[in-house]
Amino acid sequence: MSSTFDQVATIIAETCDIPRDTITPDSHAIDDLGIDSLDFLDIAFAIDKAFGIKLPLEKWTQEVNDGKATTEQYFVLKNLCARIDELVAAKGAGAT
Amino acid sequence: MRIEYFQLIDRILDLNMDEKTISVEAQVPKESTIFEGHFPGYPIMPGVLLIEAMAQTAGWLLLALMNFERMPFLAAVKEAKMRGFVTPGEVLTVEANLVHEGSGYAITDAKIKVAGKLRCNSTIMLTHVPFPNPDLRRHMDAMAERIGFPKQALLP
Repeated sequence: MSSTFDQVATIIAETCDIPRDTITPDSHAIDDLGIDSLDFLDIAFAIDKAFGIKLPLEKWTQEVNDGKATTEQYFVLKNLCARIDELVAAKGAGAT
Repeated sequence: MRIEYFQLIDRILDLNMDEKTISVEAQVPKESTIFEGHFPGYPIMPGVLLIEAMAQTAGWLLLALMNFERMPFLAAVKEAKMRGFVTPGEVLTVEANLVHEGSGYAITDAKIKVAGKLRCNSTIMLTHVPFPNPDLRRHMDAMAERIGFPKQALLP
């Protein structure tokens, strides 16, 4: 079974036509990979489908706008993957 | 359909909140200055307006599902296919269904049929935000009234 990062990197590469080997866990989706907000919605849709979750993009955006969080916390890929893992775990816990 | 005002939906035929689907009717006007240019001697409904009709239909579905608390806006049109000409006077049935409800956005599939035959279809992404001002909310309420939006279908 591939890791969360491998799945997310593949989604980004296919959705945004970015060479897979340029995508690393330390890549910032916006600053390093140049993904804009509309393209990120496509990525969010693919992640939601692949992992059976709903990325809370509005909440994250609000936290960044309010200065309560940095974009790095959500859009550096290793951090994004950690959030995804948390959401998947929470979903699993909720199902039991 | 009032093309010049971008009011492309005439009336809601069916809204199913459980299935998250909507069906609306829209009659293409028999005459419009648009047809003088598109095309002289061969009037057909521009594809971009058919896409707009599908987007508006999907928008009404989202307005309903969000209880008129947020306003949807067109964000992306994917795989739009114009499968046949639509001509002046034809009555369109426009259908949309929710594919995915994300955070601040939604994915829908929409299609237009004429006399039961598919003329075009697309996957449409809309973003949505809280109503930016009361004027727009009032306008949408008035539009809802005009097209027979079934307000009783909304949550209390």
